[in-house]
Amino acid sequence: MIPFIEARSIRLVFKSKNRDAVTALQDFGLEVARGEFVSIVGPSGCGKSTFLNILLGLVRPDSGELRLNNTPIAGPGQERAMVFQEFGLLPWRTVQANVELGLELKHVAASTRAERSAELIKLVGLNGFEQHYPHELSGGMKQRVGLARALATEPEVLLMDEPFAALDAQTRDLMQSELLQIWERTGKTVLFVTHSIEEAAYLSDRVIVMTARPGRMKDIIPIGLPRPRDYEMRLTPEFNDIKSKIWEVLKEELTVIK
Amino acid sequence: MTGLRAFYNDREPYILGIGFIVLLLLVWQSIPLWFTLPRGMALFFTTPTKIGASFYQLLMNGELEKHFYVSALAFVVGLGISILVGLPIGLLMGRSRMLDALLDPYVTAFNATPRVIWLPLLILWFGIGIWSKIVIVFAGAVFPLLINTYVGVKNVNRVLVNVVRSFGANEWQVMKIVVLPNSLPYIIAGLRLAIGRAILGVVVGEFFGASQGLGFMIASAASNYKVDVVFVGVAIFMGLSLILTMAVKGLESRLASWRPETVKSF
Amino acid sequence: MKISDYYAAHQRGVLGFLSLIFLLAGWEILLTYVVPLDPFFFTKPSLIAAAFAEQIAGQKLWHDLAVSSRAFIWGFSLALVAGIPLGAVMGWRRRVEYTLDPFLTALYASPLVALAPLLIVFLGVGLLGKAVLVFLLSVFPFIFNTAAGVKSVDSLLINVIRSFGGKERDLYLKVILPSTVPYIVAGTRLAIGRGLVGIIVGEFFAASEGIGFAIQNYGDTYRLPDMFVGIIILSVIAVLLTEILRKLETTLAPWRSGEEVR
Repeated sequence: MIPFIEARSIRLVFKSKNRDAVTALQDFGLEVARGEFVSIVGPSGCGKSTFLNILLGLVRPDSGELRLNNTPIAGPGQERAMVFQEFGLLPWRTVQANVELGLELKHVAASTRAERSAELIKLVGLNGFEQHYPHELSGGMKQRVGLARALATEPEVLLMDEPFAALDAQTRDLMQSELLQIWERTGKTVLFVTHSIEEAAYLSDRVIVMTARPGRMKDIIPIGLPRPRDYEMRLTPEFNDIKSKIWEVLKEELTVIK
Repeated sequence: MTGLRAFYNDREPYILGIGFIVLLLLVWQSIPLWFTLPRGMALFFTTPTKIGASFYQLLMNGELEKHFYVSALAFVVGLGISILVGLPIGLLMGRSRMLDALLDPYVTAFNATPRVIWLPLLILWFGIGIWSKIVIVFAGAVFPLLINTYVGVKNVNRVLVNVVRSFGANEWQVMKIVVLPNSLPYIIAGLRLAIGRAILGVVVGEFFGASQGLGFMIASAASNYKVDVVFVGVAIFMGLSLILTMAVKGLESRLASWRPETVKSF
Repeated sequence: MKISDYYAAHQRGVLGFLSLIFLLAGWEILLTYVVPLDPFFFTKPSLIAAAFAEQIAGQKLWHDLAVSSRAFIWGFSLALVAGIPLGAVMGWRRRVEYTLDPFLTALYASPLVALAPLLIVFLGVGLLGKAVLVFLLSVFPFIFNTAAGVKSVDSLLINVIRSFGGKERDLYLKVILPSTVPYIVAGTRLAIGRGLVGIIVGEFFAASEGIGFAIQNYGDTYRLPDMFVGIIILSVIAVLLTEILRKLETTLAPWRSGEEVR
């Protein structure tokens, strides 16, 4: 079976003028099947966000192979969209205009854009807020706009870079449940970067643990929990076992100072 | 070679910046070598070295000193009064909504109007002595001080005020313990702006209706086509402005260490 | 009930207005009934109002305003056209900033008005001299504020646009320009203040027309009410322009909680 997303031997070095070069990713690889929800966890600086940016097409790796549906990735493309940790909404645009941004850049007609954005705004539960500005919204609401925007161009892959890290705990829990619902409705392939083991275990089909810098894949832990998942699952002993397993693997990387 | 490259990289801003200024000065100095100026223009032209020579000359014969002291006096007194007036009023306006509402239109109006416009009136009232200059300096410098103090007081962190109040502090103590220290960076930024405006006031005040001072020196030199003397005066004002502004900026950054944002203004 | 409601809602405006009335009334009363009015030193609101009516009806005022405005608009527009692109380049390219910044900052921090006598002697006392002076004074806020605006562009937003496949043109139109506009408006506001100083100082120097000259001339001839009319008109213009720009700033950039010095 050909994996939907395939990365092999990815290497990326950050060169800086006055300091030594930093190898962010060394021989990093992974495989993701279509429609899977995969999380990536790892110590700070291990290169997980960098990898997402490489997948997005904003950064080119120094070496290695990167394929989406068996075609090499050479730059940003309509099939991949990212949801950013700091939201990245244009402050001078309304919610609606923000959601339509991707469609606008692809020169989609205004009426089509309006239809699409209305659908998505409803999907993320923000109807009534179409004409509001980002500075009038809470963190959770801003991230919903970010999600709607990412979904607007109908990508096949959703790249999420610690999207809920800037939210308070309750909003975070809420957003996680909503994300799962949206994922199940839309069937996207999701690559989710997070620091939170609990979040990774709760959301994903598989959790990939990265080593400390230079990052490579250390282990893959399948999450055998049934879907659809609900909050109570987090309180079960099975869930705790999974968390411990991930933690055991991750722990080693946290004590390594490279 | 890596040593040289690293040296350049570290200091690139300075090298490029200062290099550019030096280049300009060199070009300026050498213009007479490239073009023979038409006779009309030659009257107006001067070079950095000539300016330097004039400076030295004026310094030696005491002229510079004489004018400098007059200007300095107007500057210091005017700035001093504006601090003594601006800070308390800004403070009170910040704490009292009524006073704020009362005075705000006047502050806005006087601040937006170029102070220079009052000069003929001031000369009428005070003559060509030093007081008209002091008033212009005051009128220019008081507003940044007042406004910045006001903003600093208004932006005080409510939480901190409540904390201090919860320990039983009265209004005066709240002022002293929380409001003033919190406002200090704003006030210093205001001082930086006030200095610029004060110098402007001295310059303009001494252009018209004066018989002494660096501004007067510049104006009378200009009318006598002594261009190099004009530039000496301009350079002195420039230098003073830079030195004072940098000194205050240094003070600002020392204070900014505990502030999340500094008041930005151009 | 209605009056106190109105008062509560518009407290600032009402208080300001009332205090102005009080002040003017007090001034008038003081110099009419309490203290003798020496016309060479003081004047009072009624006389100013009379002079105001006379000037408005006459020709001279409008002519003076036209002359001054012309020179101001020339100098100011040139400053805008030169300053904004230069500021944009400085904000965009670090090396350009490194090279030009010390020089321009030194100029900005200095009282360039000090060059006014020289400019007037060099370029004469007509349109050219005044316009150049206005230009020199008002170009710097444009440069520095535009540079700050360009530098303030959030690189995250650049990435967002690029991630959706946006090209260079999209970057400029959808992110850089909107980000920079509030800064440019702020710069315009500052430039106006400085430009006005230029036009007034320029006209004080032996001009023969223009509002600045008029004020000085009235002063020389001890016509205080007329002088005050000029001062008031100029103040009103200055305040109007500044406040309009301030409003523009807040409408264009409602997301900025400006901690600004006026």
